[in-house]
Amino acid sequence: MTLDWSVIWSNYGLLLQGAVMTIVLAVLTMLIAIPGGLLLAALRLNRVAVLRTVATGFVEFFRATPLILQIYWAFYVLPATFGIGLSSFWTAVLALSMNVSSFNSETFRAGIISIRRGQTNAGLALGMSRLQTMRHIVLPQATLRVLPALASTWVSLFKDTSLVSTIAVADLSFVSLKLRAETYRILEVLTAMAVLYWAMGYPQAKLVEWLHRKLRVVE
Amino acid sequence: MSLDFTPILEYWPFLLKALGVTLQLSVASVLCGMAIGLVLGVWRAYGGAVARWIIALYVDSVRAVPILVIIVWTYFALPLVIGVSIQPIGAGILALSFHLGAYAGEVVRAGLLSVRAGQLRAALALGMSRPQAIRVIVLPQALIRMLPPIGSLIVIAVKDSAIASVVAVPELMRQSQLLAGVTYRPFEIFTTTMLLYFVILYPIARGTDRLYRKLAHLGAS
Repeated sequence: MTLDWSVIWSNYGLLLQGAVMTIVLAVLTMLIAIPGGLLLAALRLNRVAVLRTVATGFVEFFRATPLILQIYWAFYVLPATFGIGLSSFWTAVLALSMNVSSFNSETFRAGIISIRRGQTNAGLALGMSRLQTMRHIVLPQATLRVLPALASTWVSLFKDTSLVSTIAVADLSFVSLKLRAETYRILEVLTAMAVLYWAMGYPQAKLVEWLHRKLRVVE
Repeated sequence: MSLDFTPILEYWPFLLKALGVTLQLSVASVLCGMAIGLVLGVWRAYGGAVARWIIALYVDSVRAVPILVIIVWTYFALPLVIGVSIQPIGAGILALSFHLGAYAGEVVRAGLLSVRAGQLRAALALGMSRPQAIRVIVLPQALIRMLPPIGSLIVIAVKDSAIASVVAVPELMRQSQLLAGVTYRPFEIFTTTMLLYFVILYPIARGTDRLYRKLAHLGAS
């Protein structure tokens, strides 16, 4: 077996573009999924039972089915059955956002619930409205608590963006797999892809570990 | 929009067989992954500095690389390195176990270290050897505490098994793609598949939670 790494150097621009697409997908999805998760969490903690049930069903469904299938569903079913023709990029963002919103909503809900009930009661007793208590008392404390879990979700999301290669969004894994098919330098290209993901993901994984240590709740 | 579920009725043995492969893939990777995790977790919790450092590198690296990349690399690149070709299902099991093992290792380590250190010391003071104390005193309590994260790991393993479709393992995801292509009924087929996954995964997630609530007191130290 002879290795020829020149294929990587001569195509590094292409790989770089793929890496940028991976980052764009992850950032865009998280920007949508944070408000999305807050909305779902608010619905799940709502006093109206119907809203609670609908939101819970949505969240449980997205958490208990494979993301790759959700992406496929969005890509093939939306245009064919519902006549919604999104580009593959926006289809990917849509599927990723719905999925990550569901995971975020669980994180936010747990964060809000983790703030002791007495604090809300104290806020209310001081004459604050329910919304004010939420905004000034509960959410500021909950934010710190959800940060580690949110960061873990971010790392998962960053990796999960690779699944959009199955619907031909030109992210790092898509351009790598294409390059592999075109050049037949299978080992070199696939290894370069793994190394690039590793180089981007490893510092993130370390950062998350540090956040978990730093923000561990001691009550 | 007109629904036509006849392809499902016509091809359900095909889908059922694919579901069998998904379960096979999931069970195999959970068992191998847990075995890897148990060894790594115990080693990282009680081993020397070098072992800890190497395992940490493995765990953090797996955390950094997408499972899709691991599966594709195992199927296409690994045979070039070792000079032996691998069947898709073998590559799937290998890659999924390698991936799951890292996460399982962290679960085992956290479980072991959550049992108060005094218990290990007490067991040693009673004359037990270290491996004995870990096996008889610490591990049983830790296992109960590990139940909820192990439940999540099983759910993740079943979901990740769908990604093996990219190397043409004939599991549920892959076979529904084929079927959707042949019958032109993507809505009916992908929706059915999604429900099948949900029907498997939701009880696992809820079941382990319930089991844990029943057993939690046994793990309290």
